[in-house]
Amino acid sequence: MGQAHGHDDDHGRDHDHDHPHAPIADDTPLGYYEIMEIAVRELLIERRLIGADEIRRQIEVLDSRTPALGAKVVARAWTDPAFKARLLANGRKACEELGISFYDDTELIVLENTDKVHNLIVCTLCSCYPRPVLGLPPDWYKLRPYRARAVTEPRAVLAEFGTLIPDDVEIHVSDSTAMVRYLVLPKRPPGTEAYDEDALAALVTRDTMIGVVDVSTDRERPR
Amino acid sequence: MTGSEELLKRLPTDLGGLSGDAISRTEHDLEPWEKRCHALADVLDFHKIINTEEKRRGVEALGAEMIGKLSYYERWIAAFANILFQKGILVPVDLARKMAEVEARRAAQP
Repeated sequence: MGQAHGHDDDHGRDHDHDHPHAPIADDTPLGYYEIMEIAVRELLIERRLIGADEIRRQIEVLDSRTPALGAKVVARAWTDPAFKARLLANGRKACEELGISFYDDTELIVLENTDKVHNLIVCTLCSCYPRPVLGLPPDWYKLRPYRARAVTEPRAVLAEFGTLIPDDVEIHVSDSTAMVRYLVLPKRPPGTEAYDEDALAALVTRDTMIGVVDVSTDRERPR
Repeated sequence: MTGSEELLKRLPTDLGGLSGDAISRTEHDLEPWEKRCHALADVLDFHKIINTEEKRRGVEALGAEMIGKLSYYERWIAAFANILFQKGILVPVDLARKMAEVEARRAAQP
């Protein structure tokens, strides 16, 4: 990756690879921080501290991580009690069983929602998130309102997502760190007894695994 | 009481429990350079050059004003540059020269 990119290779999530030597198609000046990013990267490559190919390969890894992976984990846990037990005992190992590799050193703790407990995850200090299984976090997860308020007024925060938790259900908020990440195992919705694993996975959205909404069969949600 | 003691009690990234606005459910697809910046963070971590916690502290060390004014990945790349200087891996003049070179290369594009 020696060259800066034109912006026209970023049509949303569809492109699955980078274009290391793509000609620059527009003459928009590069932003200051983009110049800094290019310069830092090139200096590190010149000094052989990182490989030229590693950034491109890691972009491919990042692009391959979407909430569909987490949804697969949740659906398996709903249909296979032994897997669920292993998942709750060691989230990372159980995800690896399903072929989801962890490209970092993080631990994954899976938090089960029940009739008594609703879990919510946050990172108050920055933006730690279970990226290997969910991909990159949404912007709101990284911004002040969610990070500030989730730990002290989770019911109000959840209400803003349209999620009303009964008073007799405890809310557990887990604050992520650089090394410890969380994933919510949401409750399987009623009326899905006949669903197979793929149909169940299709119900499980990103936000249900952050814990800001419950899984539902009766409305379409964006992931 | 000048109020400055609050600055000691709360570093600028330590937001948990503070008040905040209503949550605006904003999302955006990353710009290509933002995605490259994210990949760079991961690669720096793989090579034990800068780990996640060092990155976090590097952002915190930018101080409240920069944290407030820079976007998410702007903060990251600024923190990486500072950490690389602190570790003696890069020196500021090299980065300044390389940035000028990148800019000149871009300007020379037909």
